[in-house]
Amino acid sequence: MIYLDSAATSFQKPETVGRAMVKALQTMSSPGRGGYPAAMQAADTLFSCRTELAELFHISEPDRVVFTMNATHGLNVAIKSLVPRGGRVVISGYEHNAVTRPLAALGAEIIVAGAPLFRPDLTTEAFEKAITSDVDAVVCSHVSNVFGVVQPVEAVAALCRERGVPFVIDASQSAGVMPLDMAALGAAFAAMPGHKGLYGPQGTGVLLCGDKAEATPLMEGGTGSLSIQQEMPDFLPDRLESGTHNVPGIAGLLEGIRFVRGKGESAICLHERKLALQASEGLRKLPGVCVCARRDLFAQTGVLSFVVDGVDSEFVGNALTEAGFAVRSGLHCAPLAHRTAGTIDSGTVRLSFSAFNTEKEVDLLLEALPGILKRLSD
Amino acid sequence: MEQYWMIARSVTYAQRMERMLMAAGIRTRIFRAPRELSNMGCAYAVEVTGGALRSALSILRSAGLYPAKLYLLQQGKYVEISL
Repeated sequence: MIYLDSAATSFQKPETVGRAMVKALQTMSSPGRGGYPAAMQAADTLFSCRTELAELFHISEPDRVVFTMNATHGLNVAIKSLVPRGGRVVISGYEHNAVTRPLAALGAEIIVAGAPLFRPDLTTEAFEKAITSDVDAVVCSHVSNVFGVVQPVEAVAALCRERGVPFVIDASQSAGVMPLDMAALGAAFAAMPGHKGLYGPQGTGVLLCGDKAEATPLMEGGTGSLSIQQEMPDFLPDRLESGTHNVPGIAGLLEGIRFVRGKGESAICLHERKLALQASEGLRKLPGVCVCARRDLFAQTGVLSFVVDGVDSEFVGNALTEAGFAVRSGLHCAPLAHRTAGTIDSGTVRLSFSAFNTEKEVDLLLEALPGILKRLSD
Repeated sequence: MEQYWMIARSVTYAQRMERMLMAAGIRTRIFRAPRELSNMGCAYAVEVTGGALRSALSILRSAGLYPAKLYLLQQGKYVEISL
């Protein structure tokens, strides 16, 4: 199988990730639940992971790095901490259901700052018009999971700071690929998965809490601290981390983060963009294929969507599966993004690359596609 | 040698204190705080030896880290020291 679905999960991981997970299973118990070596080793692993994440994303204290199950979990905490029932929220036109569904559940008034693909200038203008001081929060993905479009989060953050509105960043597609400076942005929260660009295992996620962020627990339970009281602790990370941690997962995540820091986010992004550009140029030569990207991949990461004229994207995805390629087709849990881009009826076929993909793999895809598309259109 | 136990509200907080002191060359140890030393339920203690206490507290304070309580372990008994 040639795996081109890293925007869903980076399937190929550094070898150190699996090794760390096995070691954690064999040697670590529950952090914060004892002073014996197995518990303290687990606590040390978590602390090292918090510290590395705090350094990578410019968080003032490791306590403000909260482990979650995934990005969706973190986004739910962030949104439900900031938005009251029936509140007002401004979001970009490229948000995932992980943002829109919690807002819908809250009955929030959602103001979409929509703009065409790859137009950060127009996106900023749309946010400038939409953000008023009575808005409860602004939520914006750093990078679209469907189109790889890089959103102007720095400009949106500046608007939020100026107007005193809390800002939530969905860094699901950017963590490990693009720099994110929480201190400079002054964002309230940033949520991210551990299992995509950070190369950790599934079931890991991170919520970064800005210096002024006040978080409300999504669930209550044991934290190994302040056990005498029946309210959740008022300090992080305990306030948001009830129950036993995913220690093997976090041990794997720690190694994934070390891999990213060793290679450098910019080098990984450059590699992925190079492959996306190669794919984009090859796809443009195929009749009936419309690539959702600018020719120079302006404002884009290594996530690339395309549409085949008159062919359901799911058929293309299924045919590619049969040919040994793993891609994602359909709406990618982001109908809003497809509505904004005008691809809601067809969906798209998405290719997404990781540090482990090669030019040869893209060549093989481009060699296979003409035959596949011919069969589908016959 | 006198031993001082600094009570931390959580294991993460104790680890931050420990790392900060270790970076400054002060030897420490983390362990579960005895129940009677904490009115919080579960807590951790960071141990420093007597000679290092003053500089340890100063280092922690400059990093914005504050023990919840401080105890001197003396002849098998704990004496609370006001912070």
